[in-house]
Amino acid sequence: MKMTPKSVIVGSVLILAAVVFVAVWLPYVTRHEKPSEIFRTRTPVEEEGRLIYIANGCVYCHSQSIRTIDWGVGAERIAQAGDYIADRPILLGSERTGVDLSQEGGEHPDDWHIAHFTNPRYVRPNSIMPAFAFLGMDQLKILTAYVQGLGMKDADARMERQRYWKKKVTEAYEAGPEENVHWLNEHVPQGWRDVPNPYPTTEAGLARGEKIYQDNCFGCHSPIGDGMGPAQPWIYPPPFNFTILKGREISGGILYYQIMNGITGSAMPYFKKELESEKIWDVGNFVAVYFINQSDANTEPRGIDASYEPGGFKPPQQP
Amino acid sequence: MENQNVHIPASGYRTAKGFCLTSAFWMMVATFMGLLGATELIAPDITENIGWLVFGRVRPIHINLVLFGFVTPGLMAAAFYYIPRLLRTELYSETLGVGTVVLWNAALVGVVVSLAAGHTQGREYAELIWPLDVGVVVVFAMVFVNFVMTVATRKEPVLYVSVWYALAGVVLTTLTYCLGNIIWRPDTGALAGIPDAIILWFYGHNIFGLLLTPLSAGVAYYVIPRAVKAPLYSHTLSLVGFWALLVVYTHIGTHHLLQVPVPTWLKVISIVDSVAMVIPVMAFLINIWYTAKGRLGEIHADIGAKFVFTGTIMYFFVSIQGSMMALPQVQRVTHFNNWVVGHAHIGVLGFAGMIALGGLYYILPYLTGRPLYSRFLADFQYWMVLIGVSGFTVVLTIVGLIQGNAWLNGETVYRLLPPVHIYYVLRAALGLMIFSSALLGFYNITRSMFFEPGESS
Repeated sequence: MKMTPKSVIVGSVLILAAVVFVAVWLPYVTRHEKPSEIFRTRTPVEEEGRLIYIANGCVYCHSQSIRTIDWGVGAERIAQAGDYIADRPILLGSERTGVDLSQEGGEHPDDWHIAHFTNPRYVRPNSIMPAFAFLGMDQLKILTAYVQGLGMKDADARMERQRYWKKKVTEAYEAGPEENVHWLNEHVPQGWRDVPNPYPTTEAGLARGEKIYQDNCFGCHSPIGDGMGPAQPWIYPPPFNFTILKGREISGGILYYQIMNGITGSAMPYFKKELESEKIWDVGNFVAVYFINQSDANTEPRGIDASYEPGGFKPPQQP
Repeated sequence: MENQNVHIPASGYRTAKGFCLTSAFWMMVATFMGLLGATELIAPDITENIGWLVFGRVRPIHINLVLFGFVTPGLMAAAFYYIPRLLRTELYSETLGVGTVVLWNAALVGVVVSLAAGHTQGREYAELIWPLDVGVVVVFAMVFVNFVMTVATRKEPVLYVSVWYALAGVVLTTLTYCLGNIIWRPDTGALAGIPDAIILWFYGHNIFGLLLTPLSAGVAYYVIPRAVKAPLYSHTLSLVGFWALLVVYTHIGTHHLLQVPVPTWLKVISIVDSVAMVIPVMAFLINIWYTAKGRLGEIHADIGAKFVFTGTIMYFFVSIQGSMMALPQVQRVTHFNNWVVGHAHIGVLGFAGMIALGGLYYILPYLTGRPLYSRFLADFQYWMVLIGVSGFTVVLTIVGLIQGNAWLNGETVYRLLPPVHIYYVLRAALGLMIFSSALLGFYNITRSMFFEPGESS
């Protein structure tokens, strides 16, 4: 084959044209996505927030694309083409240095986001996300509005839930510590309230609990458990002060349930996706031993001891 | 020295020299931005409240400067030298060429300023705002005119394979750049929804397939036969490699979207053609490697050829890895994590970047008519880049495997941050090595160009 300037240039342009026809134009004209069942248009303030999201390159670390193989936040709903029809540009992302955000709306209340944007380490001590305080509070609120809309109608439902419970937890907090603790305990299912921490307090368990606390909790609850962590100024009702809980019927089961399930409406997130069973028992007992100064670990009622438990074996009394 | 007797045309290769300096200068800035971004991932508050240095702005600056500031100008420098040489003529217009260099650098300044200020269209590899898009298209058009007119006034009837690649690379990049940046929509530069993702990755992948790869292949086809003083192994393989590259590479962008709701037939095309990439890749590599067969001593003797030849080996690795990564079962682990970042660094720094530096060092003595200022520094830079990019590959692949497997197993992103931290530290350390090599390179290249050997600065 003799390669002339014409054959090189015209040949390559023709090949490109054929490929564009097949791989770009055909899918463009043959697919007309209908809105998915969760689709809604964004509000003007959400659109404005989306521009802040784009300007600061959030897309380089956060995908908006949930796959069938995903766990973590948003994994309850797999992304569909109809979710994206109003996204110009589409912000799928190519890297998960941070979490996926396609269903982030309503996972947390607004105040958590403001604290988090101000400096992510205030609420997530191991985070490597940049601080966005430089944007100023007005912009942060607009950005928060966008993030709270991610997930569209599903996000709206979650936000409605957040607002309902925000009102309740605020009322309870403002009624004073006694009433607040009572209200919180009442909202833990009875079965959990009756369960003490089934595992004995050990030095190793407390060390593990401290590690979990430092990785997840102290931004809000502070290193001494008094709720005066760096996130406190942004959060209302403020982070819980554990040091007032002695003698207030806080069972290991209550601590476990609140850590696992979070307290929707308050800034307390659920940890069931991040912490497995032993980690939750350990951090709960760490809080009980060091901050509440009262732990029910390994007290009655008890079941069959776990096989690993240290100490001498005493057969239970036969009834 | 053979270089002492080199004939330098009256034009003085001003365009090629300009692109050499452009590449050497922006390599420093580009690698610094990479180092800064890597540092922010291990010490996120190091630039706290400096909005224009937030990670999400640093990253696109790094990527755009590497692509359009360091690698492409480096490859252009060689092309502006070898096209007139291969055609036994002079460049059509040095004035137009120098104008291109000036405009190119002005556009790069615009890239840094606009992205740092948060003016972006938010699409990976297509971030630049519309006025800069137009600037990029204009400079590529200027390069194209210069190349085509040089071809038109040639005294050598046969077009050598390097010239095919340079012509095709420039004309196809001009076209896909317009398409991928949706240049007919100045406000957003985007389509809506899934079609936007499809055209974006069509374009994004073609930045490698139709710009970096053809220009790098052009340099390798020029430098290796000359350095080893042997004819090219096979004209047929040149033809197969060239046409297969254009046919196959252009189809595969959708392999970035295998886990996204795009049409299944399009995914199938992208996977099949990703595997078929072995055809153009091996046609090119066999051709180059058989040309150099038994003559590796000549490669070692020339620092430019050494860079270029190493680049071809990196091309082998990155291409085989890329074909594997397009397989859906592999991608379940590798997608969304640092494995892909490692892959990108082997490709752009290990392959195209190495060849850009190689082309630059190879032509520099011919541009100036005297030897390099320091062969030692160039060799030192070679080892720093080689160790840096190999280290990146190892470290980022390990992180990617940790992340990908842990995610599949149900770990959250947040839980993975402490275990991957140490690898991010290693990545930044290797980044420091690559940035330092860019400083050495800039010093060596400017000294070679502007000072007589032995002259004190």
